Amino acid sequence: MSDTLILTGRMEAHTSDSHTLKRYEATGGYEALRKALAEMTPEQVQEELTLSEIRGRGGAFFPCGMKWGFLAPSETRYLVINGDESEPGTFKDRQLLERDPHQLIEGIVISCYALGVNQAFVYIRGEYPRPARRVQAAIEEARAAGYVGENILGSGLDVDVMVHLGGGAYICGEETALLNSLEGKRGEPRIKPPFPAVEGLYAKPTIVNNVETISNVPWIITNGGVAYAAIGPEGSRGSRMFSLSGHINNPGNVEIVMGMTWRELLYDIGGGIPNGRELKMWIPGGASAPWFTQKHLDTLVTHDDVTAEGSMLGSGAIVVMDDTTCVVKAAHRVVKFFAHESCGQCTPCREGTSWLERMLWRIENGAGRQIDLDLLLDVSDNISPGLQWPPAMTTICPLGPSAVSPITSIMGYFRDEVAQHVDEGGCPLG
Amino acid sequence: MNNWSEPNQRRAAALVAAYPDKRSAVMPLLYLASLEYGHCSSEAMRDVSELTGMTAAQVQSVASFYTMYKREGVGTYLISVCTSISCMLLGGDDVLAAVADATDTPPGETSVDGMFSVEHVECIGACGGAPAVQVNYELIEGVEPDKATGLCQWLRDGRPDVVLSDEMQQLFGGQRSFEWGPPERSGAVAPVPAFEPYGSAKDGR
Amino acid sequence: MADETRPEKVTITVDGQEMVVGNGALLIQAAQDNGNYIPRFCWHARMNPVGMCRMCLVEVETPRGPRLVTACTTPVNDGMEVDTQSDVVKKAQEGVLEFLLINHPLDCPVCDRGGECPLQDQTMSYGPGESRFVEEKRHFEKPIEISDLVLLDRERCILCARCTRFSDEISGDPLIEFKDRGNYTQVLTFPDEPFASYFSGNTVQICPVGALTAKPYRFRARPWDLEAVESTCTHCSVGCRISVQASQNQVLRFLGVDNDATNHGWLCDKGRFGFEYINSPDRLGTPLIKGEDGEFREASWGEALDVVADHLGSILGPEVAGLGGARGTNEEAFAFGKFMRTIVVTPHLDAQLGDGLDPQFLVAATPRSAIPDLESAATILVWGPDLKEELPVLYLRVRRAATELGANLVVVHPRRTGLDDVATHKLTYRPGEGAAMLAAIAGGEHPEVTEVLNEGPVVALIGRPGLTEDARLAESVAAFARDLPEAGLLPLARRSNVYGALDMGLAPNLLPGRVAATADAGRAALEDAWGPLPEAPGRDAAGIMTGLAEGELKGLVLLGSDPVRDFVDPALARKALEAAEFVVAFDLFLSDSARMADVVLPVEGFAESEGTVTNLEGRVQKVNRLIPGPGQSRPTWSILDDLAARMGGDLGAASAEDVSREIADLAPAYAGITWEALDWGVGREGLVAPLPEAEQPLEFVPVDAGGNGEAPKNFALHLARVLYDDGVLSRVAPSLAPLAPEAAVHLHPDDLGRLGAAVGDIVRVSAGNRGAVELPAVADASLATGTVYVPANLAATASLGAVLAVTVGKPS
Repeated sequence: MSDTLILTGRMEAHTSDSHTLKRYEATGGYEALRKALAEMTPEQVQEELTLSEIRGRGGAFFPCGMKWGFLAPSETRYLVINGDESEPGTFKDRQLLERDPHQLIEGIVISCYALGVNQAFVYIRGEYPRPARRVQAAIEEARAAGYVGENILGSGLDVDVMVHLGGGAYICGEETALLNSLEGKRGEPRIKPPFPAVEGLYAKPTIVNNVETISNVPWIITNGGVAYAAIGPEGSRGSRMFSLSGHINNPGNVEIVMGMTWRELLYDIGGGIPNGRELKMWIPGGASAPWFTQKHLDTLVTHDDVTAEGSMLGSGAIVVMDDTTCVVKAAHRVVKFFAHESCGQCTPCREGTSWLERMLWRIENGAGRQIDLDLLLDVSDNISPGLQWPPAMTTICPLGPSAVSPITSIMGYFRDEVAQHVDEGGCPLG
Repeated sequence: MNNWSEPNQRRAAALVAAYPDKRSAVMPLLYLASLEYGHCSSEAMRDVSELTGMTAAQVQSVASFYTMYKREGVGTYLISVCTSISCMLLGGDDVLAAVADATDTPPGETSVDGMFSVEHVECIGACGGAPAVQVNYELIEGVEPDKATGLCQWLRDGRPDVVLSDEMQQLFGGQRSFEWGPPERSGAVAPVPAFEPYGSAKDGR
Repeated sequence: MADETRPEKVTITVDGQEMVVGNGALLIQAAQDNGNYIPRFCWHARMNPVGMCRMCLVEVETPRGPRLVTACTTPVNDGMEVDTQSDVVKKAQEGVLEFLLINHPLDCPVCDRGGECPLQDQTMSYGPGESRFVEEKRHFEKPIEISDLVLLDRERCILCARCTRFSDEISGDPLIEFKDRGNYTQVLTFPDEPFASYFSGNTVQICPVGALTAKPYRFRARPWDLEAVESTCTHCSVGCRISVQASQNQVLRFLGVDNDATNHGWLCDKGRFGFEYINSPDRLGTPLIKGEDGEFREASWGEALDVVADHLGSILGPEVAGLGGARGTNEEAFAFGKFMRTIVVTPHLDAQLGDGLDPQFLVAATPRSAIPDLESAATILVWGPDLKEELPVLYLRVRRAATELGANLVVVHPRRTGLDDVATHKLTYRPGEGAAMLAAIAGGEHPEVTEVLNEGPVVALIGRPGLTEDARLAESVAAFARDLPEAGLLPLARRSNVYGALDMGLAPNLLPGRVAATADAGRAALEDAWGPLPEAPGRDAAGIMTGLAEGELKGLVLLGSDPVRDFVDPALARKALEAAEFVVAFDLFLSDSARMADVVLPVEGFAESEGTVTNLEGRVQKVNRLIPGPGQSRPTWSILDDLAARMGGDLGAASAEDVSREIADLAPAYAGITWEALDWGVGREGLVAPLPEAEQPLEFVPVDAGGNGEAPKNFALHLARVLYDDGVLSRVAPSLAPLAPEAAVHLHPDDLGRLGAAVGDIVRVSAGNRGAVELPAVADASLATGTVYVPANLAATASLGAVLAVTVGKPS
């Protein structure tokens, strides 16, 4: 599998210094930048990205080449790297930022060249000071070496990269909320359209890409978009980072090529369920994703297959829960997260998520009523009409519907267990 | 801001100048100001309003949106225990209880002696090393309840000026989300994320 | 950069009904214009849409099936198919209402908004029958005072952000903001920094629930008990449209009424809450005659009018002068002018008090702009008063042009103004050096300013920046500005109906209808109707004051005018009134000047009498009657008619409407402007005089009048008005009186240093024989050095005359 380690190969091989410029250069680092500047036009760089068929790794899985193609002409344009990784269960960008910051920086500079951008921002969540320090140090190293700053490698290209720390708000992972935050405002999502590619940071055309997405760029430029597209099944090209956590023997990040079954991912790579317990359910793509159960073990780990089964690969976070887990407690914990992180600007999310949270808390703590079962679903329906997948929404952004995912999951797969809480006046699992 | 330390005044000026629009500096400046005043006090927000040209109400609006600008007094050590789904599954609630017990400080409050503030937090991106704890935003992964108790005791006894993630991980941590690489010398001097441009990072032992 | 291929109109289908609507219009507005009202809370037609409350969700057909969108954020496009009634839409809207209500206290019986509450109304129309919410509601301390005028109840708040957006987007003083987030979000001010905005009352009016309430109205009435009439605010010359509302013969509130022409529905707080003077116990209700002992005694109308008729009859006509008229209606001003010119037979009339500009310039400068021209201006030049202080809603309109519509804004003023923050360029000069500044601009010494001034259309708002500045400077500026590309002028004067009073001929050099008082043809036309007119021009306010003080004039008629307070040289005004043989005052209050009169006649005022007023554009609008005046007070025209009869004449003023017909007949610029034509049903925007088919006899083409190019060597005084002052109408309004700022002497920090004075030290400003003040010093870096700014007409500064050269120093 080592030949498909696009992102994590260096850090796996060089534990002690994969974050340094010295090691990065010694392992082929910044060669892609040299190649792009010396041999390629910006359009050719963009073309390679399009050919690679890479899709955004932040969660929305939008074709990256198409997104870049939407960037409106303007004298001033921006590239913003979304390092606000906050989706419960997700910690892949943290590893990329901490362990291979130059890979990201090289990706940024190449992307800026392709997009006609002179100023890039790396927005890193405030709770990630160590990754921020590593990236900052790497920027300084790269600047000293002429990879960042003015007249990069004598090409005439100027690119400044600035790290900006968040202040503790999951919603800033939503790209327009992130832009508001970067502008010094409350991190409230904007109404789209206009999309950032037309009206983004300071109302200028802006590309917002995830850390993992841009970390792939040097490899794509070195090896070509076609080579990247040759990896993995159609619609889910390349390798991808997944974060495994919860009741699993081998927690941590894995970089895999998509297309295997969930059984292979959870049992062969993840090592199965600890303590001889049975798998009860898992979250296949971050807290926003509807849950999977045993019956999905043979579903393929691809965007299309997971979507067809009513969920998503999202941020790549896989949270595994064994048979000791109370579905109400687990769902409550996830809904509580979204209620806590709701920005509060739109009514259904502000009011609805905390209403759902409080209902689940009552049910878990023995004060549930029969009517609450349907009420949970109906309130959910007022946030995400039809309770379908992909979700419709009465809200401005997808955060509200995200809070609905755990509820449709437990009511769909475990309604009896929820009802038992009401009947028995508390959690049957104790 | 005239009462700010000279290096932080310089940092503030640099931050205001660094962005295409000075309003963008409000979040970094709120960290700087929190460092100066011990927390994100009214005085801190007023200073930031002068630096950015925003009204104080606008600064407050921004500061209060985010969880890391502490508008009430906060202890020397802010202990944040993750209780989101992955950490909950592996005992985060018990870790929080242990920390509250060891510091005699209920979650959301600050100890009487001003040494500790304790809070439960939503996911801090350490799920592969659950349960996770941060001290002044410096991370420790794989923390068992008894280790959490030991961590609190260690902080109380040693009163480190600089909180170092690697040091705490070595003493009180366990399972990690991934191999961290070599230890870092830089750590946090206050309950503000340790980042040199914000004046909050310092080299420790 | 208009897209040539973009059609102006498109066709959309809403609930099966085809509509032809403006391309790019917001769906919510387009549907409403065609009779389909989509419910909403956060959307307001005068603010940018935010799509936050989600009440206006509708389904729009897309290639992938119907999609829920907010109608307030969705621009229409050709062929768009919209369903506002589908099951999905109905459920979504019911859901939103339920969400809004779960934390709402439902304290409607004790809420000011009850009965006129959008949340209440929409719950009736679209809401669920009963609540399914059994959890504890959000609690906040309620209500809290967020300013001297406004209270906030955060439990009632539905977080639509109308108030916060208004203060940020429209008024530019974001002192209330969202705080915290998610379910804990609230609207709040910063500690110790109240919502001290001149426009705070608008947030109360646009709040869709009872979260924001106004102290002056709180618990005073229920909406269904209110009688209302539409009218025009007369606190300044902008002429904002309002609804006046009263209960039991007490005016209880003003609400702004939306219109494109003037105020967009907004009001300033002085306009909104200043109505309190109407209900003041200090209002005069009985005629007063001063006895030998110098004390007033109450008198009957018959006795009082006989005294006035005797005195005015015994003094020779041209020895009597008339001042005022700017606070009343056009009908009152017209009747007063006719009375003075034909019964008393004097040409000495002035509606201004030496604080304004040449009357002919004010009413007839060409080419003339109107307020809506600001919307299409490429560049706006403001060289006049600080609009935020003196013409607040005009400030809102200019601010909007600069912030939302992309206009360049050039502000020239001796001090910082409310518009500086949004100005493209700001130039500061010392009072007295205006002509030099103008020469510098015209001479290209400020190339960046020249560049934007050369982008037309240009709208130039020109007035007197302060009371010490030469009135002719404005004409020089106008002479320069009218040559800018596609330029239009809007000459500025502040006092409520001053334009109307001048149009009615209350000026030494004007006859009714913008006729020059010296113009033979105009005089002849009026003499045909009125008989011989006194020789013109007459004396202006300064001439009248000097004439009285020096004994050349003997009698004075004050029509709602308080020269002792408002004339630029208060000491001279006092001397003049003391010297006068006979003074009669028509007034609402016993003002400082009325106190010095021999007879005081109580008149009906705003909301008590009906008529028309004319704003700074020349826009004629109606004011209407809702309540009776206090005691025996009478309409001014009726008193004058009675007086005329007692003096052997006939004014022919049997009613205000009679007078209005005579205006339409005899005042050329007002031809065709009848009350019928002004009916609010027709356009609701009044009529700008002259109508296109009517004639304006006078065309005032400004020429460079030189201004005064001479600045004093020591200190130049900048004496300018602030919104909340010690004027008589503010003084008796309990809500406004406390808002007047502390009086202070403002100096540049360098000047403070030179004077050896620290901030807070008492500093003396002496205007020689025009008075002196001793006040604490304030540092004001926006002033040029050598300038001293003192706010005019505060209790502590009212005695200071407007004089350019002053001495400043420590008190001896």
